[in-house]
Amino acid sequence: MAVYSLYVINKSGGLIYNRDFAEAARVDTNDSLRLASIWHSLHAIASQLSPVPGCTGIELLEADTFNLHCFQTLTGTKFLLVVDPHASFIPALLLRIYELYSDFVMKNPFYETEQVIKCELFDEAVEALVRRYLQQAQA
Amino acid sequence: MLRGGPPGARNAPSLEQINAEVFTLTYGSIVRQLISDFEDIEEVNKQLEQMGYNMGIRLVDEFLAKAKITRCSSFKDTAEVVAKQALPMFLNVSANVANWSPDQTECSLILTDNPLADFVELPEEHRDLKYCNVLAGVVRGALEMVNMEVECRWVGDMLKGDDCYELRVKLKEHRDEKFPYKDDD
Amino acid sequence: MNARQTAKHSLNIVDRPLTKNRAEVPTVSLSAFAYLFSEYIQYLVDRANSISELEDRLERVGFEVGLRVLELLSYRDKALRRKTDVLDILRFIHGPAWQYLFGKTADDLQQAANADDEYYIRDYDLLISRYISVPRSYEAFNPGTLAAGMMRGMLDSAGFPARVTAHYMAHKDRPRPITTFMIKLEPSVLARQAQMEAARKG
Repeated sequence: MAVYSLYVINKSGGLIYNRDFAEAARVDTNDSLRLASIWHSLHAIASQLSPVPGCTGIELLEADTFNLHCFQTLTGTKFLLVVDPHASFIPALLLRIYELYSDFVMKNPFYETEQVIKCELFDEAVEALVRRYLQQAQA
Repeated sequence: MLRGGPPGARNAPSLEQINAEVFTLTYGSIVRQLISDFEDIEEVNKQLEQMGYNMGIRLVDEFLAKAKITRCSSFKDTAEVVAKQALPMFLNVSANVANWSPDQTECSLILTDNPLADFVELPEEHRDLKYCNVLAGVVRGALEMVNMEVECRWVGDMLKGDDCYELRVKLKEHRDEKFPYKDDD
Repeated sequence: MNARQTAKHSLNIVDRPLTKNRAEVPTVSLSAFAYLFSEYIQYLVDRANSISELEDRLERVGFEVGLRVLELLSYRDKALRRKTDVLDILRFIHGPAWQYLFGKTADDLQQAANADDEYYIRDYDLLISRYISVPRSYEAFNPGTLAAGMMRGMLDSAGFPARVTAHYMAHKDRPRPITTFMIKLEPSVLARQAQMEAARKG
């Protein structure tokens, strides 16, 4: 059970945060920027293509070696977690990360909205949260 | 650690609390500093609204994350959520929504309890000061983040002798989400 | 206006009784304070010409709060007799005042080893700084300066003029740096203290 990476994408499709939790997850910077903008477009197209009215976009991408969970806030920010295909309770984990974002990024006077996130307290809180999640998952 | 919570609001999550008087006194001190920075009261009013706007665009995420709000289907719903969930969650006060315009695009948020202005007396030389203007900005900023462009103005102010704080909120535009690819028109 | 509202507005803030039960202290969310604080810091960052000016202006806001807080607390609780001794006022700040402001007492109170006009009050997790990550480019800035201003305001109001500054320091038992407030009392305070001691002995 592993959590590989967290990506945060602003409402214009720019990557504003990327944290890898495993060596295997490391992706080249340019690739991660590309991932963010491609995902942003795919997400928007999907909600337009959906035959179901009121579709809010892709929530889950399942692949052989990973799952990609996406949570989009009503403010347009997207939180993506790349995890092991067997990982569970990821939507709840994403919501917790959103809360940490609202505390340690939004309340930081040195953070400029829509820009790259450079908040030490957010990094630490996310690390601690993921560590706790993994510990509980082993149990 | 101080525990408290919004009175009467059933579903609002309880956030960590701080002594309301520290909040009130700090806000008062900030307003006084602004008056000394700008001198012109209209400038101060504008500055307060702008500060509120900057706060509003940030606090919306916390509200959405912690109150677990789903998409509001109408401006009417949104106004109720602001009055009955957001204000209680952040300020431990509840407001009423009233005085709807016939086309449902304009309403009033009515407060009788306002921690920003607790025990404040407005001196004669600052009678044009919109002491709570930061709140007008907060509402405008917060709603803009969920794609609603509104105009907020005070039509009732207890510091000026009125019997309530009345914030008139007018919906200008309800923007649908923009997609990166638009159909050719 | 309903009766409760009329009562509140005709009451002067100092007439509000000091609640016996701490849980009755009226509160707002820490978040509301945090957004206001964050925005005001941003406002100052845009206007100040240096970190030093940024801190001075923030300190000034705290100072005015501190002046009023001491008056409020002293007035409401007549049992809090006027402090004339340095240690008494510092214990008051470390204890009841901190409890009123931040919901808990401060963590340490200590006199400097080699200066009798210098004291330290430490808070291991300062409430108002909780969500603020100060970047490298602003390394010299400490948001706790607002609280330092409050302390200076209280000390000044009580007749103990001093300089108070806030500093982050690593602490061996804490995962994050703690906030240390350095209180440097003015010579007049020490002179008066010495006079009082002499009078007591003489």
